[in-house]
Amino acid sequence: MIDVERVDYIRVPVTDMDAANHFYGELLGLRRNPNSPGDDWVEYEVGNVTLVVMTPHTHDYEFAPLPPSTIALRVPDVAAAKASLEAAGLEVAEMWDSGLCRGAGVEDPAGNRILLHHRYAPYPDGSSPR
Amino acid sequence: MSGSVVTGVDFVGVPSTDWRRSRAFYVDTLGLRPDETADGEFWVGQTCFGIYEPASFGIEFAPQKNAHIALHVEDVAAARAELEAKGIEFLGETFDTGVCHMAFFTDPDGNDLMLHHRYAPRD
Repeated sequence: MIDVERVDYIRVPVTDMDAANHFYGELLGLRRNPNSPGDDWVEYEVGNVTLVVMTPHTHDYEFAPLPPSTIALRVPDVAAAKASLEAAGLEVAEMWDSGLCRGAGVEDPAGNRILLHHRYAPYPDGSSPR
Repeated sequence: MSGSVVTGVDFVGVPSTDWRRSRAFYVDTLGLRPDETADGEFWVGQTCFGIYEPASFGIEFAPQKNAHIALHVEDVAAARAELEAKGIEFLGETFDTGVCHMAFFTDPDGNDLMLHHRYAPRD
């Protein structure tokens, strides 16, 4: 069996790096890796995963947005995160509550539908989400 | 927002037309760790993946093309050979970027994946 140790990174395809860096770096406040190799490939460290914001058109393939909720970002308070992004002028979808977790979708400037997410219910073994 | 309110990625959604087939692929073929309680979830290191069927949410299925989820392996050539022996077809030759090896393939629904290993130091 191949031994997959971790996810090295997940690409987030975008069309405009300035707009994307504003969204991910400033509005979401993700930590930018200063060693990112180029202006069209910027790495953001999100705790357990590296998100690579990059432009497919400068990497020899065509842009297509990610399917909804490919990436669910953990926030401590979905309602507060939604309010904060709305104050910055973004449109955030209605918050839902599954009975275990809350979520609200928001589109990045390229049209990738990102989920703001928080699980509040303990897991079946009684432990709480980290 | 000052600083980040985002503390991690809770899950990576895997769109599927048949979640049992997807689970078999990720857990049995790739050998990823199934979640202990949720049948549709599996783990890669500290990252949870959640298989979902968009049709059951009234959303039209579209595969994830472009995220190229980079699965870290120690030896891309060896892992590729092992998966090819199980019938997985890769897209093109293994690519050497000058800092890492990449081998592209997809899951049964066409979601983009790659085997990845960076061999160059980060500095």
